[in-house]
Parts: sequence; structure tokens; C-alpha cells
Amino acid sequence: MLLCAEALDLNGGEAMVWLSAEMGLTDLFPNRVELWKRRCSNPLRRTTRRELLSEAESDGLISILNALADRLYPLLRSLLSSREPAELSEQRWALFRERLKALLQERFNMRRGAVQRLLDPQSGPDLCRSLIQSMALSAGPGGFDRLKASLMDASA
Amino acid sequence: MKLTSRYEQTSCRLVLEGLPDLSAGQNAETIGILTRFSLALAGKTEMEGEREHLQAMLAVVLPYARQLLSGVRKPCGNAKQPIEIRPLNQGHQLELRSRQANTPPLLLDLDDAELADLVRCLDRMQLDEKVAVPLERPIPQPLRRSELVTRLPLQRRLAAPLVGISALLISAALASLLPTPKPPANPPTTMEADG
Repeated sequence: MLLCAEALDLNGGEAMVWLSAEMGLTDLFPNRVELWKRRCSNPLRRTTRRELLSEAESDGLISILNALADRLYPLLRSLLSSREPAELSEQRWALFRERLKALLQERFNMRRGAVQRLLDPQSGPDLCRSLIQSMALSAGPGGFDRLKASLMDASA
Repeated sequence: MKLTSRYEQTSCRLVLEGLPDLSAGQNAETIGILTRFSLALAGKTEMEGEREHLQAMLAVVLPYARQLLSGVRKPCGNAKQPIEIRPLNQGHQLELRSRQANTPPLLLDLDDAELADLVRCLDRMQLDEKVAVPLERPIPQPLRRSELVTRLPLQRRLAAPLVGISALLISAALASLLPTPKPPANPPTTMEADG
């Protein structure tokens, strides 16, 4: 979902660093390199780090995502709304999928099944929609607790 | 003095009206006794209700949103509750039941954006310090393995056990085709003892 935020906002990477400082997370992520290292704990990435995140670090990343989703909420909403003109909506989705694909190809391991499903022309659009819906439900005052609980699901 | 709290998103407006519960030590700007609430969803009927309806709304809509975040699309609520929500092919359906007999339930179809707006309004209301109405607030919980079963389609859930059983049956059939080894011939008895 952090990558989706970058696909939606060209300055998403910078926004994460800025939000981290704004929310007082400099002890956890003192600079962009440390923040990047924590993001590399995702096993789907091309270069991944084996060390597990501490609870404070994972909470920090969830807080950043929660704030990013809140900032991007109008855009998330316009993507999910069925009341938007169909042609405009399709153009927005195509742009989002194109940017996400470029970021995935640049940073993620293309041999992983989850990444391949996301790039697959058949299953990809539904998965992209599901990611955007998850971001919309992770925004706002209750989004942090919802997202944290979902990351602690039995299968996770 | 009647107090009003409003929570608005693009397609949703939630308004609470009530009074401060001074006997409970609340200040004069906090709603402690809910007299009425209204929920307006853009382009749909505005609904009004009392505390039990707001309680049901919290108890049904927020857990439903929590499930969606884990990719689980299943209904929340039941026929005994005044509110139920279920997934549709494209979106979600909110069913509101009146306490009055002979009144048919109100069905509201929501798209993903409208549901997200409703969830945000309920979140804001839940965390508003100026609302101290005694409501049970559902705390998001991780889903159990059994609750996540529906996330995978039936075909993918059955694929692994079917492949396993098929492999076992094929192995058993091939094994049955192998000739049974003959028992070893009896070694010739030695006559040395007799000699």
C-alpha cells in the first residue's frame, strides 16, 4: 500500500519522510535511508532485509500509511466512486496501474506469485481496486486500528 | 440546552442531537444523552433513529469494513438487528429495518466510496470527545483462520487436497502393478550332519 501511495502521488516518497518527521517518528526513522530500510523488510521486494520489524517500527509505518491515505483520500474516493464519469474513471485507473506497474518492476521481485498476480491483465485490476479500497478504509481516525488488526490476521 | 454534532464527508452526513448528562459530571458541551440522530447518504433517503440504531450501525458497519480490509466479503448483522450490511456484486447493500410492523425494510445500495465515507463519519463520531453517549464501540480484532477461509475461491481451496489425494491414488495404482516378489527358494539342506 505504501507503493500504491507513491503510484498515486509522484512525491509520495518525499511525503513519507516529511510525514514521519511531522508525526514525531524521527527516533524510529531518523532519515530517509532508515525509513527505506524498514520498507525493505517486505519479502516481495527485489532487495529485501531479513530482520523483523519491531512493534514500534511497524506501528510507525502504519501511522505513516494512515496519514498518507488520509492525505490522498479525495483521490482514493474518486477512484472508488461509481458516480464519476466512466471514461474519466477508467483513465485514472489506467494511469494508476501504469505507475504501479513501473514501480513494481523497478523495486519488486518479479518471480514472486503475488507480484505476478498484481501485474496480470486478468487478476491485476481487481487486486488494484482491492488495494485502493484498503487504503480508503485505512484512512481517517479509525484507520490505524483497522489496518493494524488486519496485519495481525491468523494467516498473516 | 440541545447540542448538535455533525460529521460530513462527500456523500454522507451524520448528525447527532442530544443533551449533556450533567448528573454524570459531563460538561455542558458534551452530548451524554442522545435524543436523535440522522444519517443522510447522497441521493438516498435520509434516515433517523435513536441510540439503538446508532449502536447497531456501529456494531455492523465497522466490523464489515474491518473484514473488507482483510479481503473478506461476508454479511454483518442478522435479522434480529435493526441494521444489516451485505456485499453486492459491485458495492454493498445496507438494510435498515423499522420497529414498526408492516413497514418494509429500507435497502440502500452503496458503492465503495460511499461506504468509505460512512465509515469515516462513524470513526470520527466514535472518537469525538464531545460525544459521551454510552455506546459499545467495536474494537478491531485480527480475524481467525476460519474467518479467512472465504477469502480464497473454492477452487483454490480444494486444489491442494485434490492434488494430494490424486497423487496418493495414482501412486497406489502404480504400486499395485508391480509384480509381487517371489518368496526366496528354500536353501538346500546340508547332509553334513548325517555323514
